[in-house]
This record gives sequence, structure tokens and C-alpha cells, in this order.
Amino acid sequence: MAPSLRGGTLAGTEAPHVAVARLGRFERLPWRRIILVVLGIVVGGVVVLGTLRTLGLDRVEGGYSGGAWRDFIVQGAAQGAIFAMIALGYSLVYGILRMINFAHGEVFMAGAFGSFFFADAYAKSGFLNRSPLLALAIVTLVAVAVSVGTAVLLERLAYRPLRNAPRLVPLITAIGATLFLQNAFRGFFGPQPYGYPKPTVLAGNITVLGVQIQRTQLLVLVVAVICMIVLQWFVATTRTGRSMRAVAQDREIASLMGINVDRVIVVTFAIGGVLAGIAGVLFSLSFEQVQFTMGFRPGIAAFTAAVLGGIGSIGGAALGGFVIGLLQAVGPPLILTGFGIPSVFSLKDAFVFLVLVLVLVFRPGGLLGTGEAEKV
Amino acid sequence: MKHRIWFKALALVAVLTIVATACADDGGGDGGPGAGEVDCATVEFGCVEVGADEPIKLGAAQVISGADASLGQDQVNALELAIDYLDESFDQTPGTLLDHPVELTVEDELCSAEGGQTAGTALAADTSIVAVVGTSCSSAALGVADTILGDKGITLISGSNTSPALTDPELHNPFYARTAHNDRIQGAIGAEFALGEDLGATTAATIADESPYTQGLVGAFEANFEAGGGTITGSEQVNSEDTDFKPVLRSLAEQDPEVLYFPIFVAACTLIIRQAQDIMPDAELIVADGCLSSDTLKNAGPAADGVWASSPDLSAFQSDEFYSGEFIPAYQEAFGSEPLAVFHAHSFDAANVVFAAIEEVAIDNGDGSLSIPRQALRDAIFATEGFDGVTGTITCLDTGDCATDVTIGLFLAPGWPVEGGTDDPAVYTDTKSLDEVL
Amino acid sequence: MAARRWVRTGAFAGIVTIFLALVGLIGGFTDVFLIGDEVTFAGLMLLLPAFVAGFVAAAPRIEGGERREMSLGEAAVAAAVAAASAGFVFALAVLFTDLIGDERIRPIFLNVSPSLMEFVAFGQSTVVGAVILVALSTMAGVLGGVLRAAPPVIRRPVTAAVVVTVLFGFLQRVIPIALDQLSLERDWLYHPIHDGLTWVGAAVVAAISAGISLLNTRFGARVRGSLSSSIGGRSGLAMSPVRLIASVAAVALLIAAPLLLGSVISEVLGTVMVFALLGIGLNIVVGYAGLLDLGYVFFFALGAYSLALLTGATLNVYGVPPDPAISGDLNFYIAIPIVMLIAAAAGLLVGAPVLRLRGDYLALVTLGLGEMVTVLVGSPWLVPLVGGPSGMRGITDAAIGGFAFRDPQRFYYLALAFVALAAFLSWRLATSRIGRAWTAMREDEQTADAMGISTTRFKLLAFAIGGAIGSLGGALFAVKIGSLTPASFQVIVSIQVLGLVILGGLGSIPGVLVGALVLVGLPGLLREFEEYRFLAYGAAVVAVMVLRPQGLVPNVRRSRELQEEERAQDEWAKAVEEGETPGELGPPAEVTT
Repeated sequence: MAPSLRGGTLAGTEAPHVAVARLGRFERLPWRRIILVVLGIVVGGVVVLGTLRTLGLDRVEGGYSGGAWRDFIVQGAAQGAIFAMIALGYSLVYGILRMINFAHGEVFMAGAFGSFFFADAYAKSGFLNRSPLLALAIVTLVAVAVSVGTAVLLERLAYRPLRNAPRLVPLITAIGATLFLQNAFRGFFGPQPYGYPKPTVLAGNITVLGVQIQRTQLLVLVVAVICMIVLQWFVATTRTGRSMRAVAQDREIASLMGINVDRVIVVTFAIGGVLAGIAGVLFSLSFEQVQFTMGFRPGIAAFTAAVLGGIGSIGGAALGGFVIGLLQAVGPPLILTGFGIPSVFSLKDAFVFLVLVLVLVFRPGGLLGTGEAEKV
Repeated sequence: MKHRIWFKALALVAVLTIVATACADDGGGDGGPGAGEVDCATVEFGCVEVGADEPIKLGAAQVISGADASLGQDQVNALELAIDYLDESFDQTPGTLLDHPVELTVEDELCSAEGGQTAGTALAADTSIVAVVGTSCSSAALGVADTILGDKGITLISGSNTSPALTDPELHNPFYARTAHNDRIQGAIGAEFALGEDLGATTAATIADESPYTQGLVGAFEANFEAGGGTITGSEQVNSEDTDFKPVLRSLAEQDPEVLYFPIFVAACTLIIRQAQDIMPDAELIVADGCLSSDTLKNAGPAADGVWASSPDLSAFQSDEFYSGEFIPAYQEAFGSEPLAVFHAHSFDAANVVFAAIEEVAIDNGDGSLSIPRQALRDAIFATEGFDGVTGTITCLDTGDCATDVTIGLFLAPGWPVEGGTDDPAVYTDTKSLDEVL
Repeated sequence: MAARRWVRTGAFAGIVTIFLALVGLIGGFTDVFLIGDEVTFAGLMLLLPAFVAGFVAAAPRIEGGERREMSLGEAAVAAAVAAASAGFVFALAVLFTDLIGDERIRPIFLNVSPSLMEFVAFGQSTVVGAVILVALSTMAGVLGGVLRAAPPVIRRPVTAAVVVTVLFGFLQRVIPIALDQLSLERDWLYHPIHDGLTWVGAAVVAAISAGISLLNTRFGARVRGSLSSSIGGRSGLAMSPVRLIASVAAVALLIAAPLLLGSVISEVLGTVMVFALLGIGLNIVVGYAGLLDLGYVFFFALGAYSLALLTGATLNVYGVPPDPAISGDLNFYIAIPIVMLIAAAAGLLVGAPVLRLRGDYLALVTLGLGEMVTVLVGSPWLVPLVGGPSGMRGITDAAIGGFAFRDPQRFYYLALAFVALAAFLSWRLATSRIGRAWTAMREDEQTADAMGISTTRFKLLAFAIGGAIGSLGGALFAVKIGSLTPASFQVIVSIQVLGLVILGGLGSIPGVLVGALVLVGLPGLLREFEEYRFLAYGAAVVAVMVLRPQGLVPNVRRSRELQEEERAQDEWAKAVEEGETPGELGPPAEVTT
């Protein structure tokens, strides 16, 4: 049992005594409050000032037209839709297991990579353009199968033995699994990028509600929204969905009520895999390229999105994904340009994380969360 | 302990006296031009002693694993061919240099500063290594391998470092040289082409990534483009592992540049080519040799058509009789494949420059053994003038650049000189020397 | 029932073999010789999974709460069944590949090379090759099974002999250098042409390591006795004489290493020491205070770049003035305390707002901080300050009166001195009242808080001290390499340091050293396996977490805590507590929650 440390009331050796005394003085100031308030004021000021200065710029001075802002928003939303779909996988698993499946980004990569070889073969045989719907359906099924397989294997081999271990243990394992999966795929298929074929029906732009948008971007948005609605329905109404919610509430009681917890957990990983597989195909169709590194950055962005939105909540993950996508596209030009910083987009990842830190500091449960992130 | 040192010193002096006498007796006939002028005991950095039956050891610091392995392996292959060719024929039996076989010691530089340090340390620790051909990547050399080897008086000569920083007068290590072209010239000719009558542009935007390679090219392009009267409307930097460049392109498109210059490596380069098609349909796209690859053409598909790629014009020597008639067949026979990358010829030349310098400065001790003074070797390499290499005539400057006049060609996709391209001749070529460009 | 389990174990091993073949660990290494002309690395990879399958199949089972050992005969049968299944699964894959043609698989799986196909067919037709494959696998598996079931007095020395001999085979580029350095003859030990061990050498190495293991086993009972009494006793630090001797020997070896091993290996050891320093720092944050920091590279970069700026390094950028916007001209030894203060202050500053977050959120935020620093040092915005992507050069060589430390051997001593200092500080902290507060906080934060421990403040303290030590690691790294580029400060550094702390054992200082040696030293020495470095890394982290969460050299106190926790907890613990690998892939019994 640790003794009380306030005020250094216990005698001890010299060094700790000094440290404790120093802590005592340190303690008297409400440091955290002070830092938070200062931080809040500084950040708010910077954002407002930057935005005003940017919007005040002429185009010749490096400012942007209304069309540019509209395009940034569309581009950010399309990217955000993919983040949202990956984020759902993080969020579902977290809801059930209270564990961050760091390797989920690699599940996404596995699906995209696995489907590539089919898509490539179909493109070469002409099947992809002859009946794009059927071909894409098969390609998506393959991606889903590979992603689900990877996710379930991961659960069985790496996470299940650790189910009751201290919380950080599975997280560390997941980081190991990330490295392993990435390098395994590199070993299988090599480090080079592969060009992912796209059926010609998806090439080009389309105008929706007066906004010009790439067909793939539209596809991404539509499929993502459908997936989220289906998922919401699934979790809310089906029997399995109810079991999932029960396990998320209280694993032990759920198991006492006759729910097969192992099965529910596997199903959760599998659903995460399904979404990751679909996201993998959507991502590959929009960027037309797959590589073994492709999962890491979108994975981290999606992971951030899940936390930003409020991890464990489906709506939160969706919101978080779109917010991150928009932040990457709109944030740097809107806020940083005004300060005359060169190459604003080189700072976009730093920018996203800054926003994440701020959200967690001021609203620890995330945008739609319950505030449970704060432990003390 | 002290006694031993004295004893060693005494023995050394005695041996040297005998050697000197032997040389004097010979009348310097076999001693080469260096003999008599260099005293290995006192000269800075000393000499490499090669015993009568020992090989002359040449180091190689090249990347032979990871994503860039083909870049380094290609050059290692070229070095083996250079050793094969010491007897003036590619016969798959190594030739000899001054009656000694040449042995290659390869260290992996991993295309990074840390790798450059490990490789540099390993090579510097081996006191029998005469000179090192490498590195593959500029980041492994810059302030790392060049310094580690230079501190020991070992000359590092690269066949593929192109970063301008390496031979910048402020930054150059006196023991660093290269037969690869300096990207100042490639960037400058890219700018000249953009300004010239083919494109007639006055505005350009650039995209770099986090590698020193693109930094050097973009820097040179921007400086020369502006000096030529053009305007840089925007420059961005991206991460080479990113995939979504649409917002970056959209923001650059605001200023409507006529040219977009993005000398980035294949993966990101391909993505930008694709995404720019939509966002900047009117801009002329120019990439550099880091993107000039069959993978780009394959992965970008029709989107690549119309993209310009600058590259050292290899056709000048590729049509060369020796290169196409002897070197390439020998390469194919020895390694069972077409050359893996583009810098094999440069490394072949680098090795031959070193061999020529060794022949010039090595001191024949008369008993079949050689002494190669390090400082003199470095000086001889830097004094190379008008050397007839595969890649052209090689003349080394004080700053270490040995490819002083570089021909850069601009190729229009799909006519790129790579597998899968239609291999059209360069649309524009120019030759410039380093003092003509910024 | 049992047979089904054996087959399942074997089938899994077969799939592992297929995996090894597909990532290129078999086909790419047919010419890397470990022993003589016969034992290649590829051969080892081909048969190792079957061997392990046999070993695992023959492991004692826990049935009805009791441990049941297998007899030799039973073990051989179990192992044979498992290993034959492993061989069979792999042989099926080979036959299948041959049927549809390896040239049609190669465009997808690049490593299905002709040399792989030739190797797994043993130069025969595919069918004959498959039969040989199954036979060899079975033999390897039976060996493993018999070894597992043999009494410890045989099992331990044989295992030691095999492991050490294979390790010597691996270190074929390193040990000869050390022998040369000591002017010892090497040709009897290593084959002069293809570099592997000679059979004579292998026999000598095996005999010596078996002998040492045997001696150790005989003294072992005593050592374990004293160890368990010290665990049971009040202080976890009492040392048995044997342990003391081992520790003294280890310290002596650490001090003598560069002189014995020469500059090439010293260079790798210097990197090991830098990472050990980082490990000691992160260990305070993760191991002592229980805060998962995934962005430790933040302090690493902060230390490296602030040292560079304080000591007058120049920019590596061509075409701009070489002096950075801020440039000091301090001596290394004056700059170091300033660097550490900056890092501690930065730790407090970034820690204060985020440290009240729950553990996994904190992990994410620190990951973000690490990413941010990577982005910032490489951004064009900060080129005038830190050189952007081209970085900085000309970093001080930490000279004392003209005696410079850039040379690998000297640098090792410099780094060793700092490691010793940090280790001492860390050890004092752990045993102090602060350390006890950390322990209380780590084990149960709410209770600790209720007991009056100001958890936020102790977290901050851990963060600041850990950050200061991390920045010291960064500063030394800068001195070592002499040139900084953002490529050296990627997120992978954070993961590497975390990996070595975990592998060694959370909270254990000797563990950090062992972890650094294994995860940084071995890859540095085994350059030919560079491409597989992070694959092995990931596998090692997962394996350690699943099979041996207390690490290789566990912290005594910590492992006791872990054990108590486990006893109270669940099945997952049982395998670990027994000190045994679980009977099969997962826990010994299915977990039903």
C-alpha cells in the first residue's frame, strides 16, 4: 500500500524527500487549469486570426476562390467517407472489447491488396468493363473475404489469449500485429505499387445539385452512407446486433444470459472486416493504386476519427471520419495560409493531430462521446 | 608496451630504408610516378599496403535491400563487371590491376543516414580498403558516409548521388566525388524547357516530397525558372506515402500555373499524374528521372500520356558501340537480366576512374607488394581530366563533380525510354555545364 | 481427441512454413550456410516449424487441473503425428503449385521462385520431393518431441547446444571479425568459402554450450532457491552469489566489448546503447508509471535537434545560408543539461493537458505528438531553423579537451556512461517513494488517488523525467551520426523503443539492455536479413505479449505483481505462471467468459 504523499509528511531518504517537497510547492498552483485556459485562448485566437487573414487575401496574394473552397469540401468529404468506414471497425471493436485494434488499418490494406489480383485479371480479360457491376461485386466480395479472414485470424491468434490481460497489453500486441501484417504483405507482393484498374463507367465527373464531382467520389459517398445505415440497422434490430450491444454493456452478465461471447466478438471483428474490405475497394477505385504501406496512414487517420467522434459510437465514428477528411482538405489552407506559412499542406497531418489533442483536452469523450475518457 | 612501440618504429624505419634503397637501385623503373615522392610513414592518412599475394580491395556502399535495392544491386553488378573488364575483356574471369586481383567488399547503406553510417564505419574500419564506390542514395552520404570515410582519407566516389548539396562548396567533403550528374543541371534544363518555345510557359508550380532528391531538383528548377523570367506561383511539399493529393493540386490550381513540376518517386508521382488530370487539365506536367519508370506508365495508364519526364540523356552513350555491343551483353550474361536501374554505367566509370588513379599512384615495392598512398590517390582521382568513360568524358572538379557537362533530355509519355514505353527520341535535349546553371 | 489436437498443431505449423516460403525466407536463403555444406538457413526455415510442432505436441497437458507429462514413446508418437501433418500440408502446397505451374503463381507471390521450387523438391521430381519433405519434417518433429519429453538434465543442455550453435551460425559475419580482432585463428570455426560454421566448429560450440548449461543446471537448483527466497523476502533485490558473479561478468563484458570486438561491431553497439537509453527513459513512463506513450520519438527528435542548434550545427540545405535561425555555440557538456531541461519542460507542457486521459487515449495523443514532430522537422516552414528534409550536419563530437567521441569505440563508452547514469537514476527512482507511488498508481489508479497520491502530478513527473532521458538519447544519437535528417525520426522509432522495453520486460532495467541488444543489436549485425527485420519485430512483440508478458528479463517485483494478478484473474495467467508455453496455439483451455 502506498503511503500518503501529500506534504511530504513521511520521513524518507534525502532525495525523495526533496522531490516530494518540490512537488508540494508545484501542487499549489492549478497548473492544469492555467495551461488549459491559456491554450484555449491561444488556439482560438490563432484560428480566428488565420481564417480572417486567409479570407481577406486576394487570389493574386495566394487567397482562394469560392470554387476552391467548394472543391476542398467535396474532396475532404470523399476522403472522410473512407476514413469513416475504417473508423467504424475501430469503434465497433472498441465498443465490445474496450480495446483499440491498432492493426485494423492493415485489415483494410489486406482487403484492398487481395482484391487487386482479381480486379487486375478482370481488367485484362475485359470482364471489368463488360459487366462492371458483376465484376465489382466479385472484387468486393474477395476484398471482404480477405479482410474478414485477416481480422478473425488476428482476433483468434493475437487478441483472444489476452482477453483478460491489462488493457495496454492488447494494444501493444496490436501494434506488433500492424508491423507484422505490413511486412508480410511486403514479403508476399514486394514493395512496389500496383496500378488498380477502374471500370470506364466510373471515370470522369458528374454534376449533382450543381456541384461537379468525380464519379468515384460520388460512389464512395453513397456506398459509405448506405453501409452506415445498414450497420446502424443491424446493431439496433437484429438478434446478433442485440447480443453485441449486450456484450458491450456487460460481458459477464451477457454471458450469464446465454450469449456466446466468443461468437459475438468474432462477429464484431468480422463486421469490422467487412467494412474495411468495402473501404479497401472504394479506396483502390478512387486512387487506382495499392501498396503495402497503404493501410498505415488511413488507419491512423481513421483511428483518430473514431476517437474524435467518440469511440464506441457508430454515429461518432461516421462524424469523426468526415471531420478528419474535411480538416485535412480545408483546415491547412483556411487557417495556415493567412500566416504566410509556405506549403501549408505539408502540415496537414500535424494539423489533424493538433485538433485531436484539443478535442480530447476540452471534450475528452469525443464529439459525440459520453465523457468517459476522463478517468480521474 | 613502450619498448614494443619503439621496436616497431625502428623496424619500420629499417624496412623503409631497405625499400627506398631497392627503389633507388631500380632507378624508379617499376616504381611508377608516385615512387620516391611519397613517404608512407609521414604522409597524411598513410598508405594502403597490399601484400604480394593479396588483392586490392575496393569498397562499395550501396543499398542492396529494401525498396531501393535494385538501385544499389545494379551498381554492385556494374562494379563486378568493371573488375571483370580490368583485362580489357568481359570474359567472366576477373582481371588484375598491377598484377593484383581486385576484391569487392559490399556494405548495405539502406538508403538512409543510419545505414550510411553503419556501412561507412564498416568500410573505414577495414584498413585494406583503397577507395569506396557509393553511396546509392544521397542521404547516406551527406554528412555521414562522406565524413566517416573522409576522416580516414578514403575517397568516396558515387555513381548515383545527384543531390546538389553534396558538392556545394560550403558542404563538400574533400574526399567525396561523383560520376553521377548533379541535379542542378537537370533542374535547370527542366526550367529552360518549361520557359522555352516548346511549352512557352511563364508560370509554374512545384511539388516536392520529403526526400533530399526532390528538394534538390525543385530548388534548382525554381531558381533557374525565376532567373529565366518566369514566376513560381506556388510550391507545396507532400508526404510520399500519402494518397490523396487532390486538395494540394486544387490549391495550386488557384493560380493557374502553366506548368506543374513534381520530381517525385513512382508511387506518389503516379497518383499526382492521375489526380492532376482532373484538377489541372491544362497544365503541362513535368517529372524527373525518379518517376521515369515502366511502373509509372503501367500504373497511370492513359493518364500518363502527355507527361514530360526529364532524365540524363542516356541515348548518347546507349547507342555507343561499347555500351550496347559489349557492356550490356556482358551484364545480361553475368546476371541473367537486363540492367536493374539506370546508374550501372556511372558506377562502372567510377570504378575505372579509381583503377586508373591507383595505377598512377601505387608504389611498387619491388617484391610484388604495393603501397597506395591515400592522399595521392584522392588527388589523382580529383585530377582526372578527359577520361574516356562510358557515360562520356569525365573531368573532375575541386567540388567533386566529375560529370561536368551533362546532357538532359525531355521525353514525352508514352515515348519514355523505358520498358512499356514507345521509346521515342527525346523531344528536347540540352547540354550544360555546372558553371552555366544556378 | 488428442490426435486431432496434434494434427491441428501440425497443420498450423505447415501453414507457418507456407507463410515463410511466401515471404521469401526459404527461397531467398538457399545459399546462406549455417553449418558446413549441408545446413542452410533455408533448410532451417523449412524444418523449424515441424520441429516446433513436435515440441509443442509433446508438451505436458493440464488435465483436470493436473499437469500430465508424456512418456518418451507417447511424445514421439504425438510429435510424429504433428510434424507429419505439418510436412503434409506444406507438401500439398508444393504439389499444388507444381500442378498449376509456379510461373503462374509468381506474378502474384513474388517469392515462389524457381530456386524455391528446386529447393523444396530436393533436386528430385516433385512427388519424390514431397515424400522426402514429409519424411524430413517427421524426423525433425520427432526430435522436437523427444527433446520435450526428455528429463531436464538432457533437455536443457541439448536445447542450449542447438540454440547457441544456430546463433553462432547466424553470426557468421560478426564472430570472425571478433576473432580477427583478438588475433585468433578462425578457419577451424568458420568455413573460409561459404562462411558458415564448420562441422568441427559446430561440434565444439555445441559441446561447450551444453557443458555450460549442464553446470548451470546443477547449480541451478541453488540459484532458483535463492531467487525464490529473495522474491518471497522483503527486498526484491537481494542477490545470490551466482547471480552476483553473472552480473559482474555482464558488466565486465559491457566494458570490454569494444576492445574485443573492434569498430564495426562497436558501431552497432553504440546504436544499441542509444536505444538502451531511450528504453530506460520510456521504461519510466510505461513500465513504472503505466502510461502508454506511443510518441516517444517526440523527445528523441527534440533532444537531437536542440543539441544541434545549441552547439552550432549547420544546415544541410544547398542554396541557403548555412547557419540556422537559432544557433548557439555551447560545449556539448553544457548543452546537455539545457537539452534535458527543455525536454522536461516540453514533457510537462504537453503532458499537463492530456495526462488525465484514459490510457489508450493517452496512447493516441502521444502518437499524434510524435507524428507532429516528424512532420514539423521535415516541413518547408522550418527549413531556416532545422533544414527541413535535408536536415543538419556538423554536430559536435562531444570532445573533452580535444579527445573526440565520434569514433565508434569511443562513442560506445560515452553512451555507456550515460546509460549507466540513467540506469542508476532510474533504479533509485524505482526504489524511492516516488517509485512506490508510481507502482500504486499503475496498479490501481483510483485507489491510489483515494489514498491521497496526486496521480496527475506523478504522471507529469514520470513524463518529464522520461522525456529528459529520451532527449539525452536523441542528443547522443546526433553526436553519433553527426548529421540529422527527418528520416531518422519516424514513428517507427517510438514503436522500436516500446518493443524493446516490452521484450526485455516492463519495469526491468537489465531487460531494457537485453531488449536493445536483441531488437537493435541483432538486426544491426544480421544485415542480410534487413528486409525481414520488422516482420520479425512484429512477430516478436505479439509472441512476447501472448506467451511471456513479463518479458525476457522480468522485473522481479513486477513479475510478482503480475503473478498475483494472474492467480486472481483467469486462465490466461496459468500458462505464464507455470513458466511454460501454452499447450497449443492459445491458452491451455478454451476461455469461456
